Amino acid sequence: MSPQFLATFKYSDSLTIVATSFLTAVVCEAISWLLIYRRTSYKSLKTAIDKASKKLETMKTDNMVSKKNKAKKIDRVETTLKESTRDLSLFKFKSGTVVALVLFIVFGLMNSLYEGRVVAKLPFVPFKIVQKMSHRGLRGDDYTDCSMAFLYFLCSISIRTNLQKFLGFSPPRGAAGDGLFTVPDASKTN
Amino acid sequence: MNSAGAKSSSTSSIIKHESGHFNFHKFFNPDASWDKDQLGDVLHWIRQIVAIVCGLLWGSIPLVGGIWIILYLLISSGIIYGYYAIILKVDEEDFGGHGPLLQEGLFASVTLFLLAWTLVYSLGHF
Repeated sequence: MSPQFLATFKYSDSLTIVATSFLTAVVCEAISWLLIYRRTSYKSLKTAIDKASKKLETMKTDNMVSKKNKAKKIDRVETTLKESTRDLSLFKFKSGTVVALVLFIVFGLMNSLYEGRVVAKLPFVPFKIVQKMSHRGLRGDDYTDCSMAFLYFLCSISIRTNLQKFLGFSPPRGAAGDGLFTVPDASKTN
Repeated sequence: MNSAGAKSSSTSSIIKHESGHFNFHKFFNPDASWDKDQLGDVLHWIRQIVAIVCGLLWGSIPLVGGIWIILYLLISSGIIYGYYAIILKVDEEDFGGHGPLLQEGLFASVTLFLLAWTLVYSLGHF
C-alpha cells in the first residue's frame, strides 16, 4: 500500500504518523465547522466577545471617565464578556465531544498498529517526565528511541493549533482562559 | 453577521489594504498602528516559521543534544523581541507587557520545532 520510496527510510513510520495526524486534524476541523463555526449564532457570539474585550481594553486605558463610573462600566462589560465566553464554551462542548471521540479512535488504532515499535529517533534525551511518553511501550534503555505516542502528541499539538489559526477557527483572544472553570475574583465576592 | 467571518484571525486580513493590495510595508513600519489580534497573529506566524527553519536546519546538520532546544528558544524569542521592540517599536504595555507577546504561539512552535527536527534527523541520518 505504501509508496516505494517510503521503504528506503528506516523510520518511514514517522511520515505515516504525521500524515495520519494531519488528516485527522482536517477531519476534526471539518466536523467543528459543520457543527459550530458555520452557524450564525456562533459567529455573532464571537463578534460579541471580540467587541466586549476590545471595549474593556479601551475602558481600562481610558482616563476620561470618573473612577466610580468607570469601575461600574468595566464591571458590566466584564460580566457580559464572561457570559458570552460561557455560552461559547457550551457551544463548543458539543463538537468537542465528537472531535474527542474521533481523536480517541484514531489514537487507539495507531496504538495497536505501532505498539512496541520505534517510529523515530530523537536528537536529544528527553526529561524523565517526558520519557514516560517518548519511551512508552518500548524496550531497551536508549531514551532517544521515540514511541508513536510522543510523535503523535507533537503532531496533534503543532498541526491542529496552526490549522485552526490558519482557518481562523482559533478561540477569540478575549475569551482565552475565561472558560467554564474560571477562578472567582476575590475582590468581587466580598 | 457576516462580519464575524470576515474578521477571522487569519493574517491575510491584516496585510490587505482596502484596495485589496498586500501591505508589506506595515510589517516594518514603526508608525503603523497594531491591535492585539493583528500583532498576536503576526508574532504567532513568525514563531512558526522560525520553528520550521530551525527544525529543518538542526535536523539536517545534524545537531544533537538538549542544548539545541535552548538555543532555538533563545533565537526564536530574540527574533520576536527584536521584531516588536526594535522594528515595530510598539509599547509592550499596550499589549499586556512582554509576557503575552513573547508567549504568542510559543507552545505550538516548540512542538513544531521538535517535530521538524526529529523528522529530518530520523529520516536523513538513519
